[in-house]
Order: sequence, then C-alpha cells, then structure tokens
Amino acid sequence: MEHSEYQELLALQAMEVLDAHQARSLRAHLESCADCSRELAELRDAAALLAHEAEPAMPSDEVRERILRGLQTESRPIVGQPSKVLSLPARRPSSFWQTTLRLAAAVAFVALLLGIAILWRRDVASRRQMDELARQVNRQQRELQIGRDNQARQGEALALLSSPDGSRIALAGTETAKTAHATFVYDQKSRHGMLMIEGLPATPSDKAYQMWFIPKGLAPIPGGTFTVSADGRALVSDNIPVQAGFAPVVAITLEPQSGSAAPTMPIYLASPAS
Amino acid sequence: MLQAIARGDESALAALYDRYRIILFSLILRILHDRHEAEDVLQEAFLQVWRRANDFDSSRGRAFTWLVTIARSRALDRLRTISSRSRIIDEREPGGEEAIDAAQQAVRSEQGELVREALKELPEEQRRTLLLAYFEGLTQAEIAARLGHPLGTVKTRMRSGLIKLRELLRDRSRGFV
Repeated sequence: MEHSEYQELLALQAMEVLDAHQARSLRAHLESCADCSRELAELRDAAALLAHEAEPAMPSDEVRERILRGLQTESRPIVGQPSKVLSLPARRPSSFWQTTLRLAAAVAFVALLLGIAILWRRDVASRRQMDELARQVNRQQRELQIGRDNQARQGEALALLSSPDGSRIALAGTETAKTAHATFVYDQKSRHGMLMIEGLPATPSDKAYQMWFIPKGLAPIPGGTFTVSADGRALVSDNIPVQAGFAPVVAITLEPQSGSAAPTMPIYLASPAS
Repeated sequence: MLQAIARGDESALAALYDRYRIILFSLILRILHDRHEAEDVLQEAFLQVWRRANDFDSSRGRAFTWLVTIARSRALDRLRTISSRSRIIDEREPGGEEAIDAAQQAVRSEQGELVREALKELPEEQRRTLLLAYFEGLTQAEIAARLGHPLGTVKTRMRSGLIKLRELLRDRSRGFV
C-alpha cells in the first residue's frame, strides 16, 4: 500500500472505524512514518473534541467517593518502563564467602519451593476433606428428610389404624420373597390406604415395585409404583380404586420403572383371597 | 497531573476527576443514556486512568484526548454488553444537569460552543456521519446501512468531515483542556 493510501485511512482510524485488517496494516506503517503519526495524533485530538457535543451532565458526589475508595483495593499505578532492560554490573571473581552465600541462597530457594509444594498439597488435601464433609452433610440432610417423610407416613398409618372406619389387610411373601411381609391399612369411607412393607429384596436400578388391587373374578387394577430402602422397607400411600370394591386382594410385583398396565413379573407379596 | 498519578498520588487523581468529571460523564451518558450505568463506567474509566497513567506519553497526544478515548471506549464496551442483554430505550436520561458547578459550566460551555459552532459549519451529512460513529460506535458498514448510503460515500464523508473539523478547531482549540 502506498503512503497516500495510508493517509486516506488516518481520519477513519482516528474515528476508530477501520476494520481489524486495515488497522493492523496502518499500525505497521505508522512505525516508520512520522508524518502519518503526527497527522493521526491531530485527527485524534479533533475527534476527542466531539465529546463536547454531549449535553453537560453531572455525576453524583458518590462516584468520586467510590473512585477514591476503589484506589485502596486497586494495585498501585504501573510505574517505570516495563520494556526497559537494566544493565547489570560486571561480574567479579567470586570469593569463598560469595560462593557460600550463593549456595545458602540456593538451598533456601529450594527449601522455599519445597515449602510451597507441601502447602499446596495440604491445600488440596484440605479441599478434599471439605468436599467430603459437604457430601456428608448433604447425605445427612437427605436422610433427615427421608426420616421426616417416613415419620409423616407413619403418623398417617397410625391415624388410619385408629380410625373407626379403618381396616387392615395382611400381605405375605410368596416363593419369590419368602421373608417379606406387609400390612395394608385403609379407611373404608375415604378409600385411602397405606402399605407398610418389610423384607423385600432391594429394588433393581431399572425396576420398581408396583401395587395391584385385584377384585374377585376381575383383572388386577394397577396401583402406584415404589422402591424399597436398603433394608427392604417401604411405606406407600395409595387409594383403593372404586372398581376394586371394599376388600380386594392386594399384591406386589416387580415391574419396569414406569409401571405396567397389567402385571408382567412374579408376585412378591399378596394378601390371601377372601 | 498524569505524571503525579503515575507516581501513585491519590490527590492528583482526585484533582483530575474534579477537572474532567463533567465532560467525561456527559460523553458516557450520551452514549449510554442511563445515569446508573454511566456513573459505573465513569468509575471504571478513572480506575483505568489510575492503573495506566504511566502509559500516557505527552509527546504522542494530549491528556484530554487520552482521557476521552478511555471513557468513550469503556462506554462503547458497556453499550455493546447492554445491547446484547436488552435493547436500550432511546431516551435521554433527565436530571443531574441542574447540579453543574457554575465555573465548570462556564468553561465547558466555552469549549462546547466552539465545537458546536465548528460542527455547524460542516455539511449536514458529514456532521451526522461523524456523530453516529462517535456516540454510537457504529462501524462504517453500519452507518452506511443506517443512512442508506454507499460505503464509499460514508468513508469520504467521515474523512472530509473530521479533516475539516480539525482545520476549524486547529487555532480555536489552542488552550483547550
């Protein structure tokens, strides 16, 4: 690009509207062209004066205080020419003491590095401990919440048992879960019930237990799905469907997580047919 | 004053603020149209001045130009951030002007008058092009699209406008801040 072409760009650069490529090219030219550099400085001065076109406005007093307060937290101004290279004094022959001092300084430096490394490792270890503590707290909070939920359900179950319209159905484990047993307590008027289960095998990750209400001589009616705790316990709240009548057979099967419309797996728990 | 600031003299920065706060705040407010944002940017600009005072080289330009460039650049950066968040309501923020210090106002008016008078002497299209680029930070292509003019025309108008403004102000601006 010719000098005259760069001159054409100066006003646009002063207004800061050149694209990155043009600006880069012009900067390279300015390195070696004092005339263009001077001209650009003048044009920048003229452009800066456009600020006077703005209507005068006064900032609030608080801004001054904020700035002066901000200086306390800011780093000090960058003083000196960072690019300037300081000349070092000529080296003199080393004496015994100088050598010793250098060795001592080197040992101290290595010790400092080791110290930093140890502190860093301690820091990493303490962060891990903090993370572990945070996980424990979260776990305990979750368990506490589960405990509260269980307590609420137990209260609900007790209320059902003590209700004048309360009834209960006992469920026994089948061949698939011989040690399992459960009790379904329900209110005959509201048809609301609570199933208390013990001894079921742990729920597989992709499965859920499902409750069924089986009216005499009719197809099973699906109830809610649930999982059991690590010790095989569960407390499940559900309503007896109207179609199931007043004293249905209650059964539990293992089904896909989303539940099934009809039982697909073996029965784990069931109440005796009346 | 900038040399004293570069040495870490806080009172020099306070004095610089007192001297330039109105012109810089007016410029930032004109760009942002929001007092809260403008005060925030003014604070940022002066903290940048504090950190970078040593970069200022009086042989390469005026202190006023350097300060205005920092303030404008910060304001345009903020404008782009705000615009990406939401559209700015194009209303000039009222208030504040009544509190202008009388002496400052007199000085500013004198300088402002010179610039306004010089701008009036420019052809309307040149003036408009310069102000769009300066206060809205639009690129040449954006100005061309906004005004519906060819890109080459926009470049010529901006170049001719600024050169003429420099000529008009060259003598009158001597002694400017």
